[in-house]
Amino acid sequence: MAFLTGVAATAFGKYSGSDAPSLMETAARAAIADAGLPLEAVDGLVCGYATTFPHLMTATVMVERLGLTPRHAHQAAVGGATGVVGLLLARHLIAAGACRHVLVLGGENRLTGQSRDDAVKTLAGVGHPVHEVPLGASVPAYYALVAARHLHETGASERDLAELAVLMRRHAAAHPGAQLTKPISVDDVMASKPVATPLKLLDCCPISDGAAAVVVSAEPGQGASIRLAGWGEAHTHQHVSEMPDDLGLGARIAANQAFAGAGRSAADMRLLGLYDSFTPTLAIFLEALGFAPPGRAGAMAREGLFGRDGRFPLNLHGGLLSYGHPGVAGFLAHVVEVIRQMRGEAGDRQVAGPPPLAYCHADGGVFSSHAGFVLERTA
Amino acid sequence: MSGVMLQSCGSCGRVWQFRRGGCPQCGSTAVREVTASGGGTVWSVTQVMRAPLPELDLPGGYAIALVTLDEGPRVMCRAETGLVIGQRVTVGLGADGLPLARTS
Repeated sequence: MAFLTGVAATAFGKYSGSDAPSLMETAARAAIADAGLPLEAVDGLVCGYATTFPHLMTATVMVERLGLTPRHAHQAAVGGATGVVGLLLARHLIAAGACRHVLVLGGENRLTGQSRDDAVKTLAGVGHPVHEVPLGASVPAYYALVAARHLHETGASERDLAELAVLMRRHAAAHPGAQLTKPISVDDVMASKPVATPLKLLDCCPISDGAAAVVVSAEPGQGASIRLAGWGEAHTHQHVSEMPDDLGLGARIAANQAFAGAGRSAADMRLLGLYDSFTPTLAIFLEALGFAPPGRAGAMAREGLFGRDGRFPLNLHGGLLSYGHPGVAGFLAHVVEVIRQMRGEAGDRQVAGPPPLAYCHADGGVFSSHAGFVLERTA
Repeated sequence: MSGVMLQSCGSCGRVWQFRRGGCPQCGSTAVREVTASGGGTVWSVTQVMRAPLPELDLPGGYAIALVTLDEGPRVMCRAETGLVIGQRVTVGLGADGLPLARTS
């Protein structure tokens, strides 16, 4: 049994003068305090990488900085899925009896710690060094290729994808920590600068500074008891050139494993935290996981299905698309919001009747590494 | 011949692009080098308007396509502007040595 007992995220945005360890320290101390634990109780650490702080041993840098004495610590790297995989590793460490309280941590000054061009160039390196990167491909270009294929296969339109950006912005407006809060319309998304067709600037998440942390424990801890009820992973390829023809394959394998482990189905979920690096990322997940029929994610967003009062409230903090994306912390912020909602602590953004079941899912690379889990409020 | 190099499995016949010591389908290490015939179909295509490197940042951008070659593998190429998914193309090496997809 593993429980999510402590969560914290900094506000995401532009923090000149910050650095990756200082941002991570802020989130780590807040999450451990949220769990009601003394620092010495934390006996495990899974720490993400930071592109602005390419230390070979970020985890032990943070052990030293926080004054922890863990039985296990290491740095994990599976791109955008790092936070979720970190939480699953924490669960496995607890199940094995190796640790009782594992801190999962990510954060960096991705916006102010490097030029925008350097950030784009660094991320493009997830592509194949011989067969993709030299062509001038970038992460938005890789996702654009998948997006174009998705639109071709489903008949959905660019305006449908834009609905998801509009929704994330609407949700972010209710969160004081969000980077982008100015309301946008589908027309605004369509009129924004083209990045790589069919993606426009507002189909893409911003680059941010920020950090987030989650404590996974062997027992429930103080307050609401939130159990990691089921989990799954799938790693189908690394490079978009070798992506399966079925765009949702990895997502579906991971999610089905998570739902089966929890003894639940997609229809049982009452809250979603889904990775949204680009609008098509969200569309493909929503459709692959059974929350919308093929090609209908945008239309269902327009109809209110994924709003706070809808059937499947989605990314109520605004997601990567509007809360922001500082790398590994990006998806951990989804988890932080899901936990706050499940505890009934989300204030003005609180969904009615704190949801008893939630599903979280992220991908790393270009739909390469998938990890997802079901959370259940048990008390 | 296209100049685009592939590998082929001597056991199961699977063909792929990224260099490996064994077949990703059956594990056989009987791997042969083959040159792609060059015929293929556009699986997806994008016009990149914001390049990852300043020297590539040209007005109007450039197209990148994923092309499913007739031998089976999907390969990434620079592409003529205006290609659409499902279109038949010929892949060869452009003047810069990079694979380029063009209308036949």
